[in-house]
Amino acid sequence: MANAKDFVDRVSQINGIAGCVLIRKDGTQIAQTLANPKKYSALMQTSNVLSVDIMESMGFGYCCYVSFAQENMDEFYVFSIDNYLLGVVKMSECSLATMLDMVYQLIGRVSTGNTEGVS
Amino acid sequence: MINLIDELKAIPGVVGASIVAADEGLKATNLPAFFKPERLLVVGNHLLKLYAAGQMSFSDLTDITLNFDESVVVARALDKSIILFVICEPTFNNNLLNMSLNLLQDEFKSSNFATTSTAAVAPTPAPTPTPTPQAGKDEGLEDLFAQLESGLGKILGPMAEFIFAEVIEKWTAEGAANYSRIDELIKLINQEIIDVNKIEKYNQLIASALKEFQKG
Repeated sequence: MANAKDFVDRVSQINGIAGCVLIRKDGTQIAQTLANPKKYSALMQTSNVLSVDIMESMGFGYCCYVSFAQENMDEFYVFSIDNYLLGVVKMSECSLATMLDMVYQLIGRVSTGNTEGVS
Repeated sequence: MINLIDELKAIPGVVGASIVAADEGLKATNLPAFFKPERLLVVGNHLLKLYAAGQMSFSDLTDITLNFDESVVVARALDKSIILFVICEPTFNNNLLNMSLNLLQDEFKSSNFATTSTAAVAPTPAPTPTPTPQAGKDEGLEDLFAQLESGLGKILGPMAEFIFAEVIEKWTAEGAANYSRIDELIKLINQEIIDVNKIEKYNQLIASALKEFQKG
């Protein structure tokens, strides 16, 4: 994966994904294909902090993702990738299993396939 | 209430469920005993905060799902200050759980819930993310609030905005928004920080702002 812009472009090209946002865990926006990234970035940070707290309180293993389901059946997913957070808007017609499979493939390439990673 | 969450437990892959009310603590649980009530209360309050944060981005938010490697937590707000969360194995039947949660929520809305609770554990304030500064407050108090919130941000990170908003709301609901009650506000903030070391650090951070305000 050449850079963050490439990464978010590829995630956004997955069938059924409306767009995505990539931020650092400190809130710095890195790249996005969604129109209003600020709408999502604070929620992504909050969900990361609270999911870690819940994980520690309950003695669970790592948090794979947090999702927010809406009445219109769209869902917003937050993935933690090292020091980054990826937010993805999944539309109702998209299969969850397919979406997760494709996103994890791309995340795997970012974190293991290229030493430069997301920058 | 316990009967209703017992029905959820009958769904394949569901380990159990809990209901936490912001102002009444743990209302009901049928999770195995190794999930301590104190921990469930912490989780419930975190989920209430996450739900409030989620609603700021998505007004039609229904459920929040946290997928951990060996467990899944599904949370749904029954109303503004009551959250139901279900702990499941990764193989749980999501559609069936969703349908059951819809039925349970309908029943809750039509007030068919019994009000009996299994155990009440220390209550905490409701998470409503809208600050409501009141008329008649001391001049310059907003600047002081900004500094208190900024300091809280250094201690709690991105959650500070939501927590500060709900603390201010509670504080203003309990009395006049003026400096004579600032100790009560600091006490409420400290209760939200929980960690003793962080409370100490926060009080150091805001000490100069409080002194400056006193000087006028």
